[in-house]
Amino acid sequence: MIDRHSSARRCARICSAIGIAGVLLAALLPGSGTARAADQMRLLETGSSLLYPLFNLWVPAYSSSHPDVQITTQSTGSGTGISEAISGIAQVGASDAYMSNPQMHANRSMLNIPLAISSQMVNYNPGVNLPHQSIVPIHRTDGSGDTFIFTQYLAFSTPSWNQSIAYGTTVAWPAVSGGLGAEGNPGMVNASKTTPYSIAYIGISFKKATDAAGLGEAALQNRAGEFVLPTAATVQAAVRATAARTPADERISLIFAPGAQSYPIINYEYAIVNSRQPSRAQGTAVRQLLDWCINPRDGNAAHFMDAVGFVALPEAIAQLSRKQIAMIH
Amino acid sequence: MKFRAWLAILAGFLPASLVAVVAFLTAYSWPAIRFNGVNFIWHDVWNLGNLYADPVHVGGMPIQPGAHYGILFLIVGTLLTTAIALVLALPVGVGAAIFLAEATSGKLRIWLSSFVELLAAIPSVVFGLWGYVVLIPLLGRHVYPAMAKVLAVIPFFSGPPGSGYGLLTAGIVLSIMIVPLIAATLRDALVAQPKSLREAAMGMGATRFEAIWNVVLPGTYRVLIGATFLALGRALGETMAVLMVSGNALNYLPHNIYTPVSTMAAFVVSQLDSALQDPTGMAVRSLAEIALILCIISVIINGTARAMLWFWARSPQPGGA
Repeated sequence: MIDRHSSARRCARICSAIGIAGVLLAALLPGSGTARAADQMRLLETGSSLLYPLFNLWVPAYSSSHPDVQITTQSTGSGTGISEAISGIAQVGASDAYMSNPQMHANRSMLNIPLAISSQMVNYNPGVNLPHQSIVPIHRTDGSGDTFIFTQYLAFSTPSWNQSIAYGTTVAWPAVSGGLGAEGNPGMVNASKTTPYSIAYIGISFKKATDAAGLGEAALQNRAGEFVLPTAATVQAAVRATAARTPADERISLIFAPGAQSYPIINYEYAIVNSRQPSRAQGTAVRQLLDWCINPRDGNAAHFMDAVGFVALPEAIAQLSRKQIAMIH
Repeated sequence: MKFRAWLAILAGFLPASLVAVVAFLTAYSWPAIRFNGVNFIWHDVWNLGNLYADPVHVGGMPIQPGAHYGILFLIVGTLLTTAIALVLALPVGVGAAIFLAEATSGKLRIWLSSFVELLAAIPSVVFGLWGYVVLIPLLGRHVYPAMAKVLAVIPFFSGPPGSGYGLLTAGIVLSIMIVPLIAATLRDALVAQPKSLREAAMGMGATRFEAIWNVVLPGTYRVLIGATFLALGRALGETMAVLMVSGNALNYLPHNIYTPVSTMAAFVVSQLDSALQDPTGMAVRSLAEIALILCIISVIINGTARAMLWFWARSPQPGGA
């Protein structure tokens, strides 16, 4: 009996010694690791699935020239981008939609900074010679900037839509039996691919995916009555017709631009950022990142824009963006 | 005495937390309850209003213009998916339980029972992913078009076969998740039935199947009902798996069994980030109201099931009937 007790006590002492040693080692050993972690600035970008492919191209290029900054990207929808930027969880919220007036009133320190100009396709799963089947409309379930720009187009072009449903990152889609909801642009591509006779609105940065899936692309009727597809020429025409109206806070819709060649669904891709950052170092890191993104030699360079089908910011707009970026501290 | 008092306090945390959750939900969704009224349950339109216009004041509360919340399509979706899941799971569960209790014994029974119970241990999101990747293409491309043609005489089974996302798919995935609940509980009850019952039935000339079906199984009806209620409770609250395969219908009721639907739990998940866009906060509070209704329904069903199982397990069973 005495032997068993003393051996048990010995066992307990050895175990606790190992445990304490382990804790001490864990605290002391990665001395270099903690120093690295302290030097590294971590930034989180979350939001628009339309901007996500471009941000994923930007991050490796930016990190190679700025090794002290680690950027994580997420595709969660513009609605989440806006709310996480407001709450401070994300340092950069990506959104295809600018913040509404009530949202700006409630959060006065927020900035909407355009980083590039994108557009949107309307894709359909083609049947042969328009067969006699019900069309299945597919919409976004998450709070989506794509929903925002698509419903703005519908609202600006169709007065009855404007009166009943209007526009927003979330709308009460009319009840069409069989209508599907999908999450994110990739979800829209997948749902459209697997659903015959479907029609969906998908961001231009997913053109490779829609082409691979064999989806058709619809020509949309613009303000002048012409039917146009989203090409660099038609998007540039729309930019020329509307960008000059951009105010200082850069919250403006570019939808349904006038002009015979203008594509009706184009928008600024916004970085929603809080002008009051929690630390000076973080503010500097965010400013440097955003300045890099809108620089026509870096983020707005042709090879990045062409890879996702976007258009670079005109110089006047880039100037306005730079002024807003300077307000981040 | 002191030990018992501490034990009572610790044990009291559990019912206290249940009360706290319901109280929190009620308090948080109170403005939505006032704004939506009873029409919340009867109306079919979930509309956040014009998020980009200025808020208006209704009944002293700021609301986005045009906002109106009604969840009839969610209630119908939840009830229908649960009903389909039960209809599919009951025969399979009862059959599995009878097989495990009567046709296997010893080590084989232990191993097979473990497999059935392990099915319950699989996280629901895994079922959802499997449904999304495997089940939806299979059902949408092959099974549903065939079903729609063959079963066209039955009204709810005819019409456009859809794309695989829908009511029946969600029901199938849910039924796979609740089968182990029914099978495991019923198997225990069958095994607990006295051997003398079976022997007496066979002594009267009954075949093995007749002995099980007419004598042994009726004795477990109460346990079966209790297990069904438990399975019902699980199916009602199931979120992730349903979210991935149900098609996320908005504002319309299903017109046939292949149509997309939405359930209350999945809706709260998929609409939360959209609701956060509402600067007045009424949308999030309405989601909390949905959660409150779901919570109350689940608590009632689960509570009834456990009370039934407990009560009838204790009361002496009259032999066989």
